[in-house]
Amino acid sequence: MNCDWVRENISLYLYDELADDARHELEGHIERCAGCGSELQAMRIFHGDMSALPQLEVTPNLLASARIQLSSALEALPVRRGWRWALDPMAMIRQFRFSPALASVIFLVGFGGGLGTMYHMSTSMHAAQSGVEQQEASIAGIRSIVQDPGTGQVRIDYERALPQTVQGSVNDPQIQALLVMASRNTANSGLRMDSVALLHGRQDDPAVRESLIYSLRSDSNPGVRLKAEEALAPMVKEDIRVRNAMLESLLNDNNPGVRAGALKALGSVRGDTSVQQAVAQLAKEDPNDFIRQQSARVMQQLGGK
Amino acid sequence: MVGQGQGRVNDAELIRAAQQGDRAAFEELVRQYDQPVLRLALHLTGSEHEAKDIYQEAFLKVYRNLGSFRFECSFYTWVYRIVTNLCMDQLRRRQVRKEDSGVRVTSEGEEVDLLEQHPDERAGASPEQELMRREMGKRIAQALTKLSPRERMVFEMKHYQGLKLRTIGEALNTTEETAKNTLFRATQKLRSALADLKK
Repeated sequence: MNCDWVRENISLYLYDELADDARHELEGHIERCAGCGSELQAMRIFHGDMSALPQLEVTPNLLASARIQLSSALEALPVRRGWRWALDPMAMIRQFRFSPALASVIFLVGFGGGLGTMYHMSTSMHAAQSGVEQQEASIAGIRSIVQDPGTGQVRIDYERALPQTVQGSVNDPQIQALLVMASRNTANSGLRMDSVALLHGRQDDPAVRESLIYSLRSDSNPGVRLKAEEALAPMVKEDIRVRNAMLESLLNDNNPGVRAGALKALGSVRGDTSVQQAVAQLAKEDPNDFIRQQSARVMQQLGGK
Repeated sequence: MVGQGQGRVNDAELIRAAQQGDRAAFEELVRQYDQPVLRLALHLTGSEHEAKDIYQEAFLKVYRNLGSFRFECSFYTWVYRIVTNLCMDQLRRRQVRKEDSGVRVTSEGEEVDLLEQHPDERAGASPEQELMRREMGKRIAQALTKLSPRERMVFEMKHYQGLKLRTIGEALNTTEETAKNTLFRATQKLRSALADLKK
């Protein structure tokens, strides 16, 4: 063992990367060699200086935010199984592209026959310029929209549907599928709230659970979000996506009642450091007094300081 | 040892379930590995926003390529391989744009000087020592940006993340010996950059 080898490996010695025999020989050499001893001391100082640079740490908010962002991105990816697309009316809506000449209002009022979607559409004053009279139509899906650049005429191929009624047990898969669609009715919050309330107790079904998570995350009505939260609360320990959605509500929902509900549900989750860290931070810093106090109480429950 | 073995068995079960399309299993898998990934991305970029982007890109890549994972290496190594490639791409882009990562950028876009936020609170730390510390901190931050992306990654993973050189080599798809040599070069460059400050 010579000084060159020692100087090349002193850093590895400090990082505890040397094999036992190499470490033993290096230590023996340093005892005998003042030059290498000084080099060791200089390297120790260098390591100390590099470690003195303040290190960025991952805050609970940052971790939760990253997880939620990932979760949302995963949801946007195509799922290998087909049930989600079959039950997602939003997928059908996303394929529509509207001519700028046609201003219209679309809202969901119901559906007929299986899993189709019916739209109640009314055209605006602008559409009258193209010669189409204002009328109401029951439309089940728009297949294509084409504008002739020469004449400006718009051709729309669509399908009509008959309104229908179905009746059955809430345990019936067809009824459940329709309730899931109704929970995403963008116009009628009452309809959404009723459907979410009826789906309570059915969250073992993956499609129902997915829909409830969507409602908790995305519904504009806090009453609907609260209903979805109540339905999902029993799953918070076993399902990480439910836990993520609850954490997101706790940190970001603008309604204190929804936040309080999420806090109560998460209070039963032990052993999850991101929940503990998030609650600890809220107990110290949340601007809402009630949330702060409740977070402190939950911290004690979770065994935190 | 039994605990570790049990952990690996659980990982393998989660991986297999995730490969079958079980998204909950995948998210559970993410939770087991994601904190060090986010910390690495945050240390390297100094930006919460960029760190989250790298985090998302890394785990989406993991998700998309999960079907091709054949247990030939550990899942930990495989994830780190994906993350280090993304981090090095980011470092290369920054070098081209000549960006200095000396300050932290929060999610709100606010620039924060860490050295302002972490004063030396040791008893007896004088203003001169504090000034010296800040100057050292700035020089260290600058010196780190002068390393090649590969040197920076190896130094970051060894010194700040505490990974073994063998793991670092695997993550960079090279040998432990090459990782060792890269670490040596990075250390020499950094010592040289800081030497005149100490005089």
